[in-house]
Amino acid sequence: MVKIYSTTQCVYCQMAKEYFKSKNIAFEEYNVEQDERAAAEMVEKSQQMGVPVIDINGQIIIGFDKESINKALKDLA
Amino acid sequence: MYELIIIGGGPAGIAAGVYAARKKINALLVAKDFGGQSVTSADIQNWIGAKSVSGFELAKMLEEHLKHQEGIEVKEGVLVSKIEKIPAGFAVYAENGEAIEAKTILLAMGSRPKKLNIPGEEKYSGKGVFYCATCDAPLMKNKAVAVIGGGNSGFEAARDLLPYAEKIYILEYLEECKADAVTCTVVRAAGKEEEITSAAVKEIFGDAFVKGLKYEDRKTGETKELAVGGVFVEIGFTPNSESVKNLVELDKWGHVKVDHKTQKTSLEGAWAAGDLTDVLYKQNNIAAGDAIKAVLNIHDYLRK
Repeated sequence: MVKIYSTTQCVYCQMAKEYFKSKNIAFEEYNVEQDERAAAEMVEKSQQMGVPVIDINGQIIIGFDKESINKALKDLA
Repeated sequence: MYELIIIGGGPAGIAAGVYAARKKINALLVAKDFGGQSVTSADIQNWIGAKSVSGFELAKMLEEHLKHQEGIEVKEGVLVSKIEKIPAGFAVYAENGEAIEAKTILLAMGSRPKKLNIPGEEKYSGKGVFYCATCDAPLMKNKAVAVIGGGNSGFEAARDLLPYAEKIYILEYLEECKADAVTCTVVRAAGKEEEITSAAVKEIFGDAFVKGLKYEDRKTGETKELAVGGVFVEIGFTPNSESVKNLVELDKWGHVKVDHKTQKTSLEGAWAAGDLTDVLYKQNNIAAGDAIKAVLNIHDYLRK
């Protein structure tokens, strides 16, 4: 299960989403700007406030870090 | 061996890549990512030809234009760590140690945001210390925040924070803020900012996240504290010239010095363009133009 915590204007969030789409990977998106519960969850999981935060089956990746994302996706497969 | 390696994926690198391909120069473009510094901008209105385009859209357009060209090789996701002169030209080293050789090089690595280099900055990066207001302003809902820097970057960050932050302090090192009048007016009209000039930020502190900062009033020498939940560092940019500091001449700020007629650096076979250089005006449009000038000059050099 892939989750992404994002804000509306964040470019790296958009890049991450497009990357998942290009690889046909389904993801759940939480807009932390509008959803306070998701914002708190994101801060709790990542121990920081920057977006995007990507949760791939429990593995937390901060920022659009392609290498870490690819690695986590491989573990998922 | 390539005839040319272009380093950088911003407007300068991409413009160079497009022209190099069309001039049938055997070229390789190496970049960590595409788009350049303005990739995080929500709205660019001065990229010639576009009334309004987001940094993200511009980055995509540039990447697509480059990849549409035939004959140019592109290595993406690669950061160049070092460049050396070799008898036949240059050896360009990637982070993983792999070396690629070329007769000529075009340096277009741009700049990165300057850091304060004060205690707490590194520790709280992402935990209250931010460098991108468009990305991270939304997380500052109902918080008091500090923007460090009273220039355009600072005031634009303050403007991005207006819908979210409860209070915005703008701390400027010099005696006055130099941001464009247009932006200052918008920010001041909201009534929630306070400008503190002659301020030298000394420390950022907190617990798990940022709780405040200490600054010195440069006029009185007093140290004061501000309770803030966010610190946006907007103090300018520094050129990414570390990989070439022993290769080409730099100015005192680390910019690669170029002959502005040809974009040649101090070293034969090496050209440079964009914010990395000592160009007077740092703009996307100018970076692209200078990179094209460089490629045409490189073409003359290779084919003579």
